[in-house]
Amino acid sequence: MTNVLLIIFIISLLYVTIGNRIITYVRVLALQGVLLFGVTFLQLHEIQTWNLVLILLETVVFKAVAVPMFLSYLIRRNKITRETEPYLPHFISLIIVTIIVVITVLLANSIKDTYLDKIFFIVSLSTLFTGLYFIATRKKIITHVMGYLMIENGVFVLSLAVGNEMPNLVNLGIMLDVFASVLILGIFLNKIGDVFKDVDVDQLTNLKDY
Amino acid sequence: MTLIYLISAFVIAGLIFLNRNTVLNYILVVLFGILQTGFAVYACFNYKNTFLQYFSFDSLGLLLLLTLSVVSIAALIHSYLYIKRHDETPQSRAIYFAAIVTLLTSISAAYLANHIAVIWIFTELTTLSASMLIYHHRNKLSLEGTWKYVFICAISITFVFIGILFLSLSLQHAGSTDLSFANLMAHKDQLNPFWLKLAFLFIFTGFTAKLGLVPMYTAGIDAKDKAPAPAGALLSSVLMNMGFVAIFRLYVIISHTSIFHWANLIIFIAAFLSIFVATVYMTKVINIKRMFAYSSIEHMGIVMLGLAAGGIGCYAAVLHIILHTFVKSSIFFQYNQVYRTFQSKSLTHVGNYFKYNPTGAIVLLIGFISATAMPPSGLFVSEFLIFKSLFDANYIILLILVLILLTIVIYAFGKNIFKILFLPVADIDESNIPKINPWESLSQYILLSAAIWLGLNPPAVFVQLIQDAVNFLPK
Amino acid sequence: MLTIILILFTSLFFTGIILRTKSIASGRKGPGIFQPVKDVIRLFRKGAIYSETTSIIFRIAPVIYFSTVVMACLVIPFGSEKGVVSFDGDFIFFAYVLALGKFFSIISAMDTGSSFEGMGASREALYSMFAEPAFFILIGSFALFTGNTSFHAIFSSLHLGSSITYTLGGLAAFVLIMIAMIENSRMPVDDPKTHLELTMIHEVMILDNSGFDLGLILTAGFIKFAMYGAIIADFFIGSLALSLALPLFLLIQFTYAVLVGIVESFMARFRMSHNPQFILALSSVSFLIFLGVLLVLEKFV
Repeated sequence: MTNVLLIIFIISLLYVTIGNRIITYVRVLALQGVLLFGVTFLQLHEIQTWNLVLILLETVVFKAVAVPMFLSYLIRRNKITRETEPYLPHFISLIIVTIIVVITVLLANSIKDTYLDKIFFIVSLSTLFTGLYFIATRKKIITHVMGYLMIENGVFVLSLAVGNEMPNLVNLGIMLDVFASVLILGIFLNKIGDVFKDVDVDQLTNLKDY
Repeated sequence: MTLIYLISAFVIAGLIFLNRNTVLNYILVVLFGILQTGFAVYACFNYKNTFLQYFSFDSLGLLLLLTLSVVSIAALIHSYLYIKRHDETPQSRAIYFAAIVTLLTSISAAYLANHIAVIWIFTELTTLSASMLIYHHRNKLSLEGTWKYVFICAISITFVFIGILFLSLSLQHAGSTDLSFANLMAHKDQLNPFWLKLAFLFIFTGFTAKLGLVPMYTAGIDAKDKAPAPAGALLSSVLMNMGFVAIFRLYVIISHTSIFHWANLIIFIAAFLSIFVATVYMTKVINIKRMFAYSSIEHMGIVMLGLAAGGIGCYAAVLHIILHTFVKSSIFFQYNQVYRTFQSKSLTHVGNYFKYNPTGAIVLLIGFISATAMPPSGLFVSEFLIFKSLFDANYIILLILVLILLTIVIYAFGKNIFKILFLPVADIDESNIPKINPWESLSQYILLSAAIWLGLNPPAVFVQLIQDAVNFLPK
Repeated sequence: MLTIILILFTSLFFTGIILRTKSIASGRKGPGIFQPVKDVIRLFRKGAIYSETTSIIFRIAPVIYFSTVVMACLVIPFGSEKGVVSFDGDFIFFAYVLALGKFFSIISAMDTGSSFEGMGASREALYSMFAEPAFFILIGSFALFTGNTSFHAIFSSLHLGSSITYTLGGLAAFVLIMIAMIENSRMPVDDPKTHLELTMIHEVMILDNSGFDLGLILTAGFIKFAMYGAIIADFFIGSLALSLALPLFLLIQFTYAVLVGIVESFMARFRMSHNPQFILALSSVSFLIFLGVLLVLEKFV
């Protein structure tokens, strides 16, 4: 069942690549939160209950509900336009993301380790590189933030792979999530929306070596 | 004592943040200065002990903590002068001092941590406090600098976390779950090399944001540019040391495993590219603060070259870091006076500084000589030893390329500094130039002479400490 | 033998059911179920008019198209019975015989010299090009999963057990249905009811055909639909006995037709520039299915 959820996770990555509107990204992030909740529930059964409840709450409440709601609030408040404005057309993005998944599969194949479930490795690295690719090829700042949230989802998947033996690492990952998301989303995007009229990376090029 | 230090430091920070009364704020800041110095002294007496399971006072941590304490006193004094002169609102003053206190505390704790996750937590805290410092002026440009800094540091921290996960995977083969450095050292032969390679790669890439190497150095440049000068001094000296400590501790463990040469190769590539990037940008940069920031990057590149070369290079790397802290922070402290004289950051509007502030100009001159590693600067000793180690390890071509790049750096740096110091600017309005109190340059003289003294005639205790720090590396 | 008869039988009803579903969904009563067949019979009685700018290609293309479709029907199995022809690797034969027919219809469209038909032909070629890896990776994964390489052997030994194979099966069924929709020039890739040449893809290629030729092309279209429906049905009834397979087959064909009708009634066609990326997304999903099959087979852990 875990494998099913993780395959749907990769499909969500492909879907995000061809998505046109920013709302699609927000919805896919919510979907990924729900999928992570399922994977956590199925995977972490060797750690104590209190810790587990905390982790479950974090995935479902924070990733699937709170952050998407906050993102839509930000989009409405800053009057960000609907288009995602990529630098490369969606078609090429789709090819590149598929190539990323292929390369990750090949890389995972060359590992001879029995301690790690390969599918976790594949999903987490694909999400990581797809998130990085998003940050590099989108113009709007809010899509940068969403790329970062996607990277965090990938990191969370990887931490689940080692989570049974070292639950503290999963807790650390959650702390990273909450901390960085609150910091980035809460404080600065609001300020940027207030100061810059167009929430566009093109505006952020004034700091140069002039 | 460690616990007391941490708790009281955070309490002081919180009180400063919440409180708006000027006198009370300054009293709290002075209290923190005393606390920091007291903690440094305490650390000297408790050498080689471990507290709270996660903080151990080993030689490298101790050395850097002492440098931090010295620089922090100067930073606090200059912050006080800066804030007083700028007539800030109580709120921004409170945030500034609270952020500086948090920054200094987190860096001290990160120096002493012996568990990689603890370093990680305190690095996150430094990101938060540093971003508050960068955003101090609250205008459009500083917002841009803060956003870039926060974003790149967030990505780097995530990379470090992934590296920690891979490290735990490599440790699973040894059957252990404790990620402290001592435990990793004990199991060093059983660590899975593939995961260890990935772990090193990710942790190294993540910490280059703090250390200032390719690929994540870009965050630091804008940060040092936009932060107020005293904070910029801290960001470009002690914060970079924190990145160095984190990488160094992992490197010590890696040096005893089979991936040692691969790790050295990675460090060589990153260091060489950093020096190259710094050279290219220094020849065309116009903003003075950015020039100093790129100079920091070049120094960090040299340090990592020495570390990767091995032998005497490791000793020289640690020496270089300590001396660089003193030199770079004093240059940044002096910069504030330059800005006050000319009201501009750009090279085109600054010139003939000797006429308006001779004391400060001499500081800049000595700083320039030190930063470009000319004798009698202490940095000359450390750079010379690093080049010697590169020669000993037979990296001749690399050495020649680095020397050529450094020559270009000296040319660019020198050209700009001499322009600042001697070349008069056309149509400058001399009536607006304020008279600067020469006593404000006192701290910089002290720091620079400390750098010269430690380089040329180091006390035996100092040498012994550095040798202890690099003791675990293979000769 | 049984398959051919069944496919020909269902093709009579297929398009009619689609039309009827669309009408009922729009609140009309709609034409009878046999209306398309009656249209085709009327067309067979008429003579064809050939434009003076066309060559022999234009005259033989409809016949070749029709015959390739019938040839492709020959390899489709039914349940546990083989098709008329069955050999190892016959799915490659299937795909490329259909491609031959498509090739001829494309060049006959370009043969007319009309720019609209050329445009439609290029679009059609593009979509088929992107749908091809999806189809091959999909059938390839099944071949890998079952260890056989002919349609009959694959479908008869397809066993779905664990949850992951059910997911893969569901995904595969979705991809197959989408490929079928693309190959038959239906929504959401091509709108058969649009009358604007700029937005037509398949319809514009047959604008100049008339009479008997048009009847052949339309009949080939019906048979193609039923053929893809048969493949989808085979997916589910691969190993069942005949008495159970027959009603299930008819049921699946009927459901498929109703589904196509519903999709056409409620969805608009995708923006033209989004079509290639949609079809390529199918290839990526097929690749994921391949990955899942590797996972199930434990070719890597």
